[in-house]
Amino acid sequence: MRRLAACVALLAATGCVTLPPDTFVLTPELLKQRQIETRRYSGIEEKDLLVACSNVLQDLGFNLENSEVRLGVLTASKQRDALQAGEVALAIAIALLGGGAMPFSKDQTIRVSLVVRPVRLSDATPSQREHFVRITVQRIVRRTDNSTISQGLNDPGLFRQFFERVSKSVFIEAQNI
Amino acid sequence: MIGGRARVLATCLLASACASTSDRVLDVGDQTQLQKRAYQSRSFDTTDKDKVLRAIISTLQDLGFVIDRADYTLGVVSATKLNVYQLKMTVSTRPRGKEQTLVRANAQFNVQPVEDPKPYQDFFASLEKSLFLTAHAGE
Repeated sequence: MRRLAACVALLAATGCVTLPPDTFVLTPELLKQRQIETRRYSGIEEKDLLVACSNVLQDLGFNLENSEVRLGVLTASKQRDALQAGEVALAIAIALLGGGAMPFSKDQTIRVSLVVRPVRLSDATPSQREHFVRITVQRIVRRTDNSTISQGLNDPGLFRQFFERVSKSVFIEAQNI
Repeated sequence: MIGGRARVLATCLLASACASTSDRVLDVGDQTQLQKRAYQSRSFDTTDKDKVLRAIISTLQDLGFVIDRADYTLGVVSATKLNVYQLKMTVSTRPRGKEQTLVRANAQFNVQPVEDPKPYQDFFASLEKSLFLTAHAGE
C-alpha cells in the first residue's frame, strides 16, 4: 500500500497538473483589471510617450530587456530582495520551537511589459496624439530552499502610483526639461 | 526489501519519463503537423499587420500575460503568464493571399505543450473581440 502511495506521489510530482479551464476566456474580472492597468494620455506622440515611459522604468530601477517601437512595446525587469519581516520572524519562531527550517522569501525578479497604443478615432483610424498606456507586472519569488513562487501583480495602488510618475514624465518630456 | 522498494521507484520514474531527447525536441505525439496547424491557426479578413499585432498584444495583456518580446518585421509576439503555474505563448502573423492575415499561436503550460484545441479556440475568440473581425478556421 505504501509502495502504491509512493508511486502515485511520484507520478503527481512528474507532471499531472493541467491548464486551468477558461485561461483564455475574457472574464469581467479581467476586463476590470484592464481598467486598473491602463491610462489615457493626450497631447503627446507615441514615440515621445514611449521615451517618457522608458524614463519612468529607469527611475524605478528597471533594466530594459526588449523593445519594439513600431508596436509600442517595452519590456523590463529587475531583481530585488524579497525579505519580509513577518515571514522571517515566523521561520525563526518555528525553528526555536523545534519545527525545523521553514523556507522564507529571499529574492525576487519583477517583470514589466509596457504597451502604448493609439486611441482609435470614430472612423477607426489611429489618433496621433491620444494614446493608452498599459502595463502588466509579474514577479518570481525565490525562497531560501530555492523553490519559487510566481504571480501576477494586481494591486490598484501600485498602478496608480506608476501612472502618476508617467504623468510627471510626460510633463517633463513636453517641457524638454 | 530495500532493493524491492528501489525497483518500484525506478519503475515509476521510468514509466513517467521515458521519452527520448529527440522526441522532446521534435514534440513527437499523437497529432500530425497539419492537425496542430489547423487548431493553432485562424485567418482574419484584414491585411493591416499593425492592427493585428496590436490586437494580439492587447488580448494577451487582457488575459494576464506579460509581453516578453515583439517583432514587427517578423510579425511575432511572445508572452508569459505567471500564476503559480507558468504559461508561455508565441503568436505569429503572416499574410494569407491578398486579403487575409493568418494568425498562429502555440502555448506551453509549465513543461508541457498545450495540445488541446479548446484553449486555442478561446484565445482566438478573445482576439476576434479585440479585432472586431471574424476568425476563419484552419490554415
